[in-house]
Amino acid sequence: MSLAEQDDALIRAALEGSARAWDQLVRRHETQVYNFSLRLTGNPTDALDLMQEVFLGVYRNLHRFRGDAQFSTWLFRIAHNKAIDMGRRRPQCMSLDSVLDEAGDQVETRWQQLDDAPEQDPQAMLDERQRNALIQAQMGALPLEQRLVVELKVFQSLTFEEIAELQDISANTAKTRFYTALRRLKALMEQDHGM
Amino acid sequence: MACERTATLVADYFDTALGAQQRQALQEHTQQCADCALALEQARHTHAQLLRWQPQSVPAWSRVPLPAVQEPPRRLRWTWWQWAPLAVSCMLALAVVLNVQVSTGVQGLSIRFGAAPSVDMAQLEARLAAFDAQQQAALQTLTQTLMQQQSNDNARLMEAMIDGVIEQLGDSTARSLEQVIAYFESQREQDLQLLQASYQQLADSDYATIRSVEQLAMLVQGGQP
Ligand SMILES: [Zn+2]
Repeated sequence: MSLAEQDDALIRAALEGSARAWDQLVRRHETQVYNFSLRLTGNPTDALDLMQEVFLGVYRNLHRFRGDAQFSTWLFRIAHNKAIDMGRRRPQCMSLDSVLDEAGDQVETRWQQLDDAPEQDPQAMLDERQRNALIQAQMGALPLEQRLVVELKVFQSLTFEEIAELQDISANTAKTRFYTALRRLKALMEQDHGM
Repeated sequence: MACERTATLVADYFDTALGAQQRQALQEHTQQCADCALALEQARHTHAQLLRWQPQSVPAWSRVPLPAVQEPPRRLRWTWWQWAPLAVSCMLALAVVLNVQVSTGVQGLSIRFGAAPSVDMAQLEARLAAFDAQQQAALQTLTQTLMQQQSNDNARLMEAMIDGVIEQLGDSTARSLEQVIAYFESQREQDLQLLQASYQQLADSDYATIRSVEQLAMLVQGGQP
């Protein structure tokens, strides 16, 4: 049974009232949704909130899932909309400031240490948490719509057609948005010591 | 960027939906266009940097909403009192067929079968009225008792489920516990309302049956309904 077929089986069981099936379905996708939320909000507290919102949305709309798309694609459709909702309701937790507050200090310290030891590979010197913090900070510098395009394209592998439909724009606009975001990220990465 | 195709070309490069032919055309263009070649190279680098993200594991959370997606419809148990109105109806009908005469006199209660010179309609009316009142009182008491019992059952069920949930969560926060309680409270409220409505409906419909048999009895005995 493929992953998608396993999802379908779990969804059917969950709709028939199996709490276990629902629990399994959530566990299969929560890491992906949590990391999506973490990159978008920039901090674990808001990420957890957003993830809960997403699964609540999935739960409420599960009976509408038709199986014509993959469950994960459908799931990220909901995730996209919940992220937009959250950005409207709580703009502060989707802004660059909250990301920089958390990530900025530790990364700054790290870069100073690296400047003192220039012979070492800066990228290799960054530990997992610092690298993530940097990516969060760079993503956080993008307007939410651009951040979402990057997220859905780079990390969730949605097509531009799918992204365009989500953001209610043409596929060409989605492509331009993606390209603009990449260029902005490149500038930010160069600013952050040639990452 | 001087080339107007750059944005679309770079985006297309990362599009999994791009066909083989389009990818071929894309590569051919990049070989001839320095702008696009450079932009693509930079975009690939940025893309690769983003993918260095290290997936984080999900912290403990309560996986709301909690189970109990849909409960199977509650089946009403048939108890003696639900059959009682039907039994009474049958007895009344039988009484009509056998032409039973019930009368109270100085000798006390007496029952006669077969035709009788006269039917004491006033007495029958009074008996039926008394029976009505009795039935209503009995139904009310029973409905209340049953609802009380139902509510106790729900409370016990709720306790058991909350215990289960706490056990499962382990480090459950006060907030998630509150959500659980609120959820079950609302479920219980709905159940009670539903139950109350169905008991009332049942009582009403059986009561209507008694009334119609009563009318039938009067017609057969020649009285006015
Ligand atoms: Zn070009």
